[in-house]
Amino acid sequence: METSNRELQAAEYLERHRIKELVSYLTSALLFFRPEKPREYLISLLERLRIAKVTGVAFPFFMDNSNIVAMFEMMDSSGRGTISFVQYKEALKTLGLYTEDGDLKDDGHIITLDKFKEEVNKRMKEICEKTKGKDSESYQTAAGLLLLH
Amino acid sequence: MDSTTAPHRIPPEMPQYGEENHIFELMQNMLEQLLIHQPEDPIPFMIQHLHKDNDNVPRIVILGPPASGKTTIAMWLCKHLNSSLLTLENLVLNEFSFTATKARRLYLQRKTIPSALLVQLIQERLAEEDCIKRGWILDGIPETREQALRIQTLGITPRHVIVLSAPDTVLIERNLGKRIDPQTGEIYHTTFDWPPESEIQNRLMVPEDISELETAQKLLEYHRNIVRVIPSYPKILKVISADQPCVDVFYQALTYVQSNHRTNAPFTPRVLLLGPVGSGKSLQAALLAQKYRLVNVCCGQLLKEAVADRTTFGELVQPFFEKEMAVPDGLLMKVLSQRLDQQDCIQKGWVLHGVPRDLDQAHLLKSLGYNPNRVFFLNVPFDSIMERLTLRRIDPVTGERYHLMYKPPPTMEIQARLLQNPKDAEEQVKLKMDLFYRNLADLEQLYGSAITVNGDQDPYTVFEYIESGIINPLPKKIP
Repeated sequence: METSNRELQAAEYLERHRIKELVSYLTSALLFFRPEKPREYLISLLERLRIAKVTGVAFPFFMDNSNIVAMFEMMDSSGRGTISFVQYKEALKTLGLYTEDGDLKDDGHIITLDKFKEEVNKRMKEICEKTKGKDSESYQTAAGLLLLH
Repeated sequence: MDSTTAPHRIPPEMPQYGEENHIFELMQNMLEQLLIHQPEDPIPFMIQHLHKDNDNVPRIVILGPPASGKTTIAMWLCKHLNSSLLTLENLVLNEFSFTATKARRLYLQRKTIPSALLVQLIQERLAEEDCIKRGWILDGIPETREQALRIQTLGITPRHVIVLSAPDTVLIERNLGKRIDPQTGEIYHTTFDWPPESEIQNRLMVPEDISELETAQKLLEYHRNIVRVIPSYPKILKVISADQPCVDVFYQALTYVQSNHRTNAPFTPRVLLLGPVGSGKSLQAALLAQKYRLVNVCCGQLLKEAVADRTTFGELVQPFFEKEMAVPDGLLMKVLSQRLDQQDCIQKGWVLHGVPRDLDQAHLLKSLGYNPNRVFFLNVPFDSIMERLTLRRIDPVTGERYHLMYKPPPTMEIQARLLQNPKDAEEQVKLKMDLFYRNLADLEQLYGSAITVNGDQDPYTVFEYIESGIINPLPKKIP
């Protein structure tokens, strides 16, 4: 089926403003906190995001070392100290740090905690530098981590 | 988080919350508006949209040939739903709009205005406060495909479209009797809709263009255009026959407009079947479990299984069985909780029957958090129940169950040896039914949004009613 011009335009709009991640984050927040008044809660979340964007302040809950360690431990259920490549890729996707440029190669080596920490920090810095903490990307990534701690 | 090592276990509170607050529909509407308008700054746009809170206001389009009663129906719907009515006349006569002044001149000359101008007027009018807050009803617009497409490109989409239809001869006849009240603008008819007050009768006027020839010409024009407009609104269209009394048309239109369309929201059915003994609850539960892969939870069955398996609960229940006393509510709820908390019930949904028997059990169920999202009352008259139950027999040799009326045994030999379950004796059945009816009023009050089904039909008909009750969204309560 041929995709019309408007459809492509719409898909590109979603991609540009990262709407899918935003909606996913809002829905998860709603279902997790289950507020009495969903609309008001959504409005408050969106206001916080808007203020964060306008003032250029990165959204309060950043991913710090203890969170990365906790995440790693959750995935490494047997306590071997390593996780598989598939898990690693999925984790990056969950954090919103996975890009399609294919620099992740399954080189047969399993991922250790240090490598994981290093990679996550590197990517976070990349995004923050690219957007200088002002664009939707950086605060959405950080905002998405609200639910992980 | 990582679903490769452990399966996701979603706590049941989340889907329950999602269903009750219609989270899916909320998000879907917001996303739709985002994609239609594609604002450069999505977040303030979303905040504004959420503040408007108008996902459920009426957005109706009424189309139909001349003399079908469009304007009458539109006006009645407006009064009932408290929305704003938009017709060509009142758009053009709007005194506060610059565009309307331009349009008025053209309208007075030629009785129609170009589509582009009309659509601009509509857009202006719909952006006003009252249309946003209370909804709108478009009467007779869009008339042509061009108008329909223009409205669509602006992102104006109705939620319900009603098309009135009637045979041409009826319409031509009907149009001859049309009369208008110049003060209120309401349309009356000499035969079908004559106003009772004599003062209105005296001031009624005959409109200009109702001769047979003119009506026929207008009808021709209408038929040419409507065929091209209808495909623009595929899933939200309903055709109502206008060849019936106006109250009937209005009633059908109102029920349709107040019903919600089916959504794509994820839905795990948690069905509760209530009804007197012999109303067919177990049969319907078995059919539902088979077709929709729900878990069939029959309270009596659970208890019997517990006793037979000699579990810890079974040991506690057994003395009550022996003495033929009712199992106390606390114990009953514990056995139920054990079953309903299992992963397959949470994931697939359940059909519950046999409980609650009275208000206390119902409150206990609620406090434990097992809230059904569809409740059905199966109504069967007393005589049918007696017929169904007292004629049940079982063959002790083969174990086959028969019914002397619905499934008679094939040979006389078998019939001679049939036995009846003492629970099916007339007095026992009467006792149980009385018990049910005593508690019925309380249960009906507690489960306000329950659906009543006539259980006195053949099982597959009843099943279809129950199915449609589960699949369609619950009807909106009229405030």
